[in-house]
Amino acid sequence: MGFADSFRQNFIEADRWSYLWNGLCTTLLITFFAVILGLILGFLVAIIRSTYLRTHKLLIPDLICRLYLTVIRGTPVVVQLLIIYFVIFATVPVSKTFVAVVAFGINSGAYVAEIVRGGIMSIDVGQLEAGRSLGLNYTQTMRYIILPQAFKNVLPALANECIVLLKETSVAGYIAIEDLTKGGDIIRSQTFSAFLPLLAVAAIYLFMVVILTKLVGILERRLAANDRR
Amino acid sequence: MIDVKNLTKDFHNTKVLCGITEHIEKGEKVVIIGPSGSGKSTFLRCLNLMEQPTGGEIFFDGKEITHLHDKEINEVRMRMGMVFQHFNLFPHLTIQQNITLAPVKLKRMDAAAADKKAKELLERVGLPDKAKAYPSQLSGGQKQRIAIARALAMNPEVMLFDEPTSALDPEMVGEVLQLMKQLADDGMTMIVVTHEMGFAKEVASRVMFMADGGVVEQNNPKEFFRSPKNPRLREFLSKVL
Repeated sequence: MGFADSFRQNFIEADRWSYLWNGLCTTLLITFFAVILGLILGFLVAIIRSTYLRTHKLLIPDLICRLYLTVIRGTPVVVQLLIIYFVIFATVPVSKTFVAVVAFGINSGAYVAEIVRGGIMSIDVGQLEAGRSLGLNYTQTMRYIILPQAFKNVLPALANECIVLLKETSVAGYIAIEDLTKGGDIIRSQTFSAFLPLLAVAAIYLFMVVILTKLVGILERRLAANDRR
Repeated sequence: MIDVKNLTKDFHNTKVLCGITEHIEKGEKVVIIGPSGSGKSTFLRCLNLMEQPTGGEIFFDGKEITHLHDKEINEVRMRMGMVFQHFNLFPHLTIQQNITLAPVKLKRMDAAAADKKAKELLERVGLPDKAKAYPSQLSGGQKQRIAIARALAMNPEVMLFDEPTSALDPEMVGEVLQLMKQLADDGMTMIVVTHEMGFAKEVASRVMFMADGGVVEQNNPKEFFRSPKNPRLREFLSKVL
């Protein structure tokens, strides 16, 4: 069978391309909301951790955060996904996509937290002192002085974390979510040809990652230009 | 205005301040000198509670401030401006925003009043054209003048200076000292930790020499520099003058 026939069989016949298209939409949906959840969780944990490290307040929340970081970063994301689906949400009727968003969001939050904490701790302690000496409280100093600078410094690293997350969602098939990877796999199981469907899946991931990496590069150059002003 | 009674401060079991008792009047310009490690910066930073004293009491306008809640500490700090060795301007904000941030967020002024105040202050520190600039576009001397303006924006009753010229290139020291002298002439109560003996002679109403966590000798600048009594002070002056 020639390439054209194979292409027709894998993607055109029975509208098989729609497995890829629907899968891509699912992948992007999961990634998008998981990134948002991850950012919220990550910032929260980073603020608690750095507050404890700088002021020795919030000991109990800090302990909880450290436990969270250890467990999440110490276990595979697939295992976390399975536990959240088959154990935590076992008896709760929620959509699989929602479960995936929760699982990948919680997972990403741990990595975002460490990136943001590094960003906060890299801001000179003089900035905190200057804010406090003016009479701003700790929260105001964080919000108006420390976090804007820290956020700017870690933006490229956060964008890279989003790219990693996009690829990591490819294990969503473990709980029978029809994401991009699963879509390609379904085509393979129907046509019994592995080459084109899987190559197409890889090409789509690669395309998205290359585009996003380019965008991160532009972002980094913009930020660097801002610093030189 | 500021009364310090038997102030002590330990860092990890090292005594940095060993029982300082001092009184600072409104309008005084106290210059603190001394070798590094003598505790002069720590003493200054205890006054606005940037360091929590280990023992002793500090009265500000008759009110004891070492055991206040955070909220009351912030209110004390609003009344005491502080200028740092390394300026600590906010690099992500324009000069204008650096000056107006605290008064606006602390609801001391609305945005329009703060902008007006910033304009006045920029005139006063001689940098009226820098409102829209960012700190990284300024020289060290200009940064420190802006840092002084930022502290003044809160209308403080006392200004604390922690080695304000130590991080500056020599040719920029003059402009900052000039501004501080102006401030002194306007009647501001000032406490200045510095190595600038010329400034101490010219501007101080009282010079304090600190060594080993205590005030060893103090006097009006004339007597202080003409006839130092303590041998440590004589040795110190012979090195720096």
